[in-house]
Amino acid sequence: MKNHTDVLIVSQNEVPSFGYLCRSVTNSSDGRRELEVRAAPSRKRSGMEIFMNEFSRRHPAVLFLYYLLVLFLTMFAVHPAALAASFGGAFLFYLAENGVKTAMKDLAYYCGVFLLLAVLNPIFSHNGETVLFFMNDRPVTMEAILYGAAMAAMIVSVIFWCKCYQTVLTTDKVLYLFGKTVPRLSLVLSMSLRFFPLLKEQAGRIGKAQKAMGMYAKDSLTDRLLFHVRLFDSLLTWMLENAVETADSMKARGYGLKGRSHFSLFRFEKRDGTLLGAMGILTLGTGAAAIGGMYRFHYYPGISAMQTGLWAVASDLLLVLLFLLPFLIDVKEKILWKISLR
Amino acid sequence: MKKDLLMLGLAAVLILLLVSGTKFQSVEDYYLTHADDITDESDTVTVSIECGTVLKNWEQLDQALREGTHIPKDGFILAPKEYVLRKGDTAFDLLKRITRYEQIQLEYQGEEKNPYGSVYIKGIQYLYEFSCGPLSGWVFQVNGSTGKTGCSRYYPKDGDVLRFVYTCDLGRDIAREDGEGDSCEKSH
Repeated sequence: MKNHTDVLIVSQNEVPSFGYLCRSVTNSSDGRRELEVRAAPSRKRSGMEIFMNEFSRRHPAVLFLYYLLVLFLTMFAVHPAALAASFGGAFLFYLAENGVKTAMKDLAYYCGVFLLLAVLNPIFSHNGETVLFFMNDRPVTMEAILYGAAMAAMIVSVIFWCKCYQTVLTTDKVLYLFGKTVPRLSLVLSMSLRFFPLLKEQAGRIGKAQKAMGMYAKDSLTDRLLFHVRLFDSLLTWMLENAVETADSMKARGYGLKGRSHFSLFRFEKRDGTLLGAMGILTLGTGAAAIGGMYRFHYYPGISAMQTGLWAVASDLLLVLLFLLPFLIDVKEKILWKISLR
Repeated sequence: MKKDLLMLGLAAVLILLLVSGTKFQSVEDYYLTHADDITDESDTVTVSIECGTVLKNWEQLDQALREGTHIPKDGFILAPKEYVLRKGDTAFDLLKRITRYEQIQLEYQGEEKNPYGSVYIKGIQYLYEFSCGPLSGWVFQVNGSTGKTGCSRYYPKDGDVLRFVYTCDLGRDIAREDGEGDSCEKSH
């Protein structure tokens, strides 16, 4: 720390995080740390990106319904085909929204989460016919591992759906949908849903400020850990303050008072109707297939055999289509855009 | 960097401790046990594991178990048989040893994990608590009456008859069968 006294001290709130890049660099000649401020490269926005969120331009009510449906189906799914379809749909949608690079990075991270969750189940559950080995006199079975994998797939798919949720159902849409009927709940809901992305953003800002002050700039694991502890500490305070401020600000605007009017640009159009119709048909189809026992599956005591035949494939396809709707809509628009540019 | 090495070392020691405290056995090794030979002076108890009530409530049973072949048609997972009682054995010790010898699946909750201070039998032969309705589970009986303690707190005597019975109605169905008035407790 003794080297850092000559570094410009900037308070956390004043670090220019937009348009500028701040970082502390080690001076090669005398080893002292210096603050380097550079203009950040402007983000290029190609025409492609603008049309990536085609699905989220549908009417909020339809989007909300779709989310309810998808989360409900995913959370109660046990059939491997259903889980695979849900994960595939969520991941492809996420990929279409955020680009290949971000999606792949997240996929690698959630692969780790998936493995951890899948390995946890056989430690606690000892049901299953196929014993692999005994750990402390308790059987570790293949069925328990597979059941753990299924549950992990379910959790990871829900996480990916929720990651897309942030870009699809933004705060204004949630407030539009429920601001009049349940103002308190909808504000809390939208605030809490916006919470983590906001937190991430602020964490980045605080981190930059810390780095700019020359704190924890060594390449050491322990240092990095301490850095995160400190970051979390200041983030916590900011978080509470921010929540109070938001609530106060909304109150000052007369939010939730009688007679307050809203303005929004959402209109129920033909394409919303088409999407709603498609959702309805697919839901009815999957419901009928579920009643017909096409999604019945069990892991204990033995893995049940997969249903085969035309009806089984058809009912699986219904689910795949339902989960792929957002991705298909995004991709269709992307292709149309590309063709129009020719 | 020194701090990093220290942390790495600490993590390695933790993992080593975890692994060394865990016993890994292959399936063959685990089931390689012998029953004690019954001699003139050895104490013995008769043990059986029964699930006859399931057969009477077949439509309530989990579909996976209904389709499978694990529920014996005569209701005896283990027909009454004499086993040697070792000194200091609890009913649960016996059950554990016998299921291991007879290669019957057993899952239980340890004494320290529930408020009863006794082992709770979760499932035997893939037949679990709640597998056959919301009031189903395993109970145990000594000489025809329900034990007042859990199976890991009961010390059998020479000549005892131990029955591990599956109930679909919180023990009432077994009591009815045996002509007893009062209901049984679950085998915790």
